[in-house]
Amino acid sequence: MNRQFYDFIITKQHHKYRHTVKWTLDEEYSKRNLSPIERMQDRFTKLCQEETPVIFENEQICFIRTVENLPNIFTESEWEDIKSKHYIHELGFMSNLSPNYYKAIASGLLALRDGADEYGKSAIDNVIKLSDKYLEEAKRQNRQDLVEVLTRVPRYSARNFREALQFFRILHYALWLEGNYHNTIGRFDVYMYPYLKADLEKGVYTYQTALELLEDFFLSFNKDSDLYVGIQQGDNGQSMMLGGVDENGNDTFNTLSMLCIDASKNNKLIDPKINLRVNKNVPIERYRKATELTKVGLGFPQYSNDDVVIPALIKLGYDKKDAANYTVAACWEFIIPFVGGDVANISALSLPKAVNNAFNNKLLECDTYEQFFEEVKKEINIEAENICDGIKDLWFVPSPFMNVLMDCDIYNGGKYNHFGIHGTGIATATDSLAAIKKYVFDEKSISKERYLAAVNSNFKSEPQLLHKLRYDTPKLGNNDDYVDTIATELLDVFAASLKGKTNCRGGKFRAGTGSAMYYLWHANEIGASPDGRLLGEAFGTNYSISLFAKVKGPVSVIASMTKQHFSNAINGGPLTLEFHQSVFSDEDGTNKVGVLVKSFIDRGGHQLQLNTVNLEKMLDAQLHPENHRNLVVRIWGWSAYFIELDKEYQDHVISRQAYKI
Amino acid sequence: MTGVIFDVKEMAVHDGPGIRTTVFFKGCPLSCVWCHNPEGLSTAPELAFKASKCKNCGLCKMPCEHDECKKFGRCVHICPEDCLEIIGKTCTSEALSRELIKSGEVLGENFGGFTFSGGEPLMQGGFLIETLKKLKGYHLCIETSGYADKEVFREVISLCDYVIMDLKIIDEDEHIKYTGVSNKKILENFEILKNSGKEFLIRTPLIPNITDGKANVDKIKALTKGLKSEFLEYNPFAESKYKMLGKEYPYKKIVF
Repeated sequence: MNRQFYDFIITKQHHKYRHTVKWTLDEEYSKRNLSPIERMQDRFTKLCQEETPVIFENEQICFIRTVENLPNIFTESEWEDIKSKHYIHELGFMSNLSPNYYKAIASGLLALRDGADEYGKSAIDNVIKLSDKYLEEAKRQNRQDLVEVLTRVPRYSARNFREALQFFRILHYALWLEGNYHNTIGRFDVYMYPYLKADLEKGVYTYQTALELLEDFFLSFNKDSDLYVGIQQGDNGQSMMLGGVDENGNDTFNTLSMLCIDASKNNKLIDPKINLRVNKNVPIERYRKATELTKVGLGFPQYSNDDVVIPALIKLGYDKKDAANYTVAACWEFIIPFVGGDVANISALSLPKAVNNAFNNKLLECDTYEQFFEEVKKEINIEAENICDGIKDLWFVPSPFMNVLMDCDIYNGGKYNHFGIHGTGIATATDSLAAIKKYVFDEKSISKERYLAAVNSNFKSEPQLLHKLRYDTPKLGNNDDYVDTIATELLDVFAASLKGKTNCRGGKFRAGTGSAMYYLWHANEIGASPDGRLLGEAFGTNYSISLFAKVKGPVSVIASMTKQHFSNAINGGPLTLEFHQSVFSDEDGTNKVGVLVKSFIDRGGHQLQLNTVNLEKMLDAQLHPENHRNLVVRIWGWSAYFIELDKEYQDHVISRQAYKI
Repeated sequence: MTGVIFDVKEMAVHDGPGIRTTVFFKGCPLSCVWCHNPEGLSTAPELAFKASKCKNCGLCKMPCEHDECKKFGRCVHICPEDCLEIIGKTCTSEALSRELIKSGEVLGENFGGFTFSGGEPLMQGGFLIETLKKLKGYHLCIETSGYADKEVFREVISLCDYVIMDLKIIDEDEHIKYTGVSNKKILENFEILKNSGKEFLIRTPLIPNITDGKANVDKIKALTKGLKSEFLEYNPFAESKYKMLGKEYPYKKIVF
């Protein structure tokens, strides 16, 4: 890729072409009494008109956002009214879907237009008109290469790899402009490979020249991404899945998968977010290749284990073909491309809260640990009931262009309608239960009254007990069955609490091992916990050990975290391991990390995320952010530039335990 | 038999082939001025204090009832930040090997093996030999200074699959000056190792102004010609460990 152009983008010089639209739409729409879909149609039309084509000199894949803001389509009172009548998920717009880009790229938007409804037709027309503006600009600049590409796509099918990439860019861009968010990329190496393969066979590209083009394409995910803010900058859901198997179990990893790993490694940018599907037959060389990317420090790739995920999805009721085609949502939730309407991150259940409630209200009445665990179970069941009952009349703002790109009736939820519930804080809950079991029931060394008083006073008068609970008590992550089996039971109870429930769209509830931002939110809902966690201290992210657990090392951690029954809790959520950068100082260290990942997969772990961290750099970056503009860290299912994060997220990353050599 | 160790580390990357678990034996007959594992020098338990995390709450200075705390005048079981730790614990070869085998079981065929380091593992020869025997069947490795009686050295390497041995300084007077002992035994054991038929690696830490002189490096290169050997860069982070133990870093005091 052209280095000058890369620098131009990462130093945000293209932002000067942006402007904010001053006009508003909501009052007018309200006056005209337009339906939601009419509003979406009208806004998209206006935004496509407002967009100004900008093509940069060294850019091969064009399209950037010049309009910064999407004016509201509902007035505040209308939105309040909608919210009072429906369950509105997050922002209310469609998100975390995996659209069928391929069908558009392979047939052209004009072909899709025939089958679209009137709103879909309108959206397609707008996308084509906007592309034509880019075509005119390409002509004006005498960019013969782009003139050729844009004359063909998106009207007609792509004829080669370059056209296919440009086509994808236009589609993805349009989805964001329409107001959808967390627009995932899906199994890119599967649907794009035919174009690359044909071009490689024709001799149009070598591996190296194809890589350069792909790097340019990957850069395009970073051009407008600051406009796609989630909870924090970087949380934008541009997830790409590589590798895996087809419905017959054949390996789909190909040259394009390799190229994508290399492009991500060379670009060193936080988008797209690279995921890799693996299984027990994947050769060690592939893990080595992937570990070279881990070494770069972006937190990629995130691994998912087909041997665990596919059968679990089938068990949940997904067709075999769809299950085999799974990808991930914005972070790690397993979703089905093209036909899946699952809302994979609809809510979260706090496992530590269930333990704390039972501890505070029932411990005195319990004579055995088993009785106490029953109380925890009741709490989890009550909470699950409340969460599930609270989600009624789910409604999304209808998005015509998203609807065009899905292969199902997405307005009514698609082929699959399951809701994912994260299970937050498994380590805090498990460690608390292990401590209660050991000290209250097995050893009887701490009286219930003393324990309750200590926890509820935030351990103020009990510093020795606090030390013992935090640093001298069995913890999850040490390959100790005494603790690990509690995590297994908790996850089973959580999964069972959702089983048999039907959601408001007729789907099921899926239990998961992720936390998303709830590792901070849920932690703030409760006080101190019986594992010695103090008031205000965060939980670990996702399926991780406690932040202050002392462990022997990553081998024991993967042992502890692969014992559970993921077939019952397959909404997604990875074990995260942090490695200090020095582990990767030579090839041998990098290879060993690859072997560790393979061991995790061979043991039946479901999902794994590895971070390369440098504590010294992070601490320095808090003091001198200007020197660490490019320092990337992984947060919960996405990576971010460290200096752009709020301090509470920075501090959490710093407090995670890193394995050194 | 019991021995004293100060750490067990999973996935030690530079301690032999594959993913290994390394045991650090406490106690060393050498006292290299640059030693980067000062907690491995003495066999006695030592108090380590992580000053950077200390919030000066003073709790550790309150009287306590723990026997192990008495000799340090500090309670190590109360710090909310876990700043205090007694380095060095006594364990039986039975308990140690039982614990170690667990990580071998986790990784199965992906497991590399066990490495015994220190300190100087040969200093606790009997305990080491007993532990090695209990782990028969695994890939076993020692990291040694080579300073030990011939008989112990022979028996230990006969039980190992791989030996990593240091050759630090070839001139005997210089060796005595910077490590506290003569290198006679080391050079004799080096000959034994060469003729043992075992796979081995010779390591030389490149310590500025001590081992990295041309004369020393040339002599080591001559001795290891045709053998598997490597030079390791000096570890500048060693000093912080001395601070933790409340010791001075001898290397820093030397004026060259």
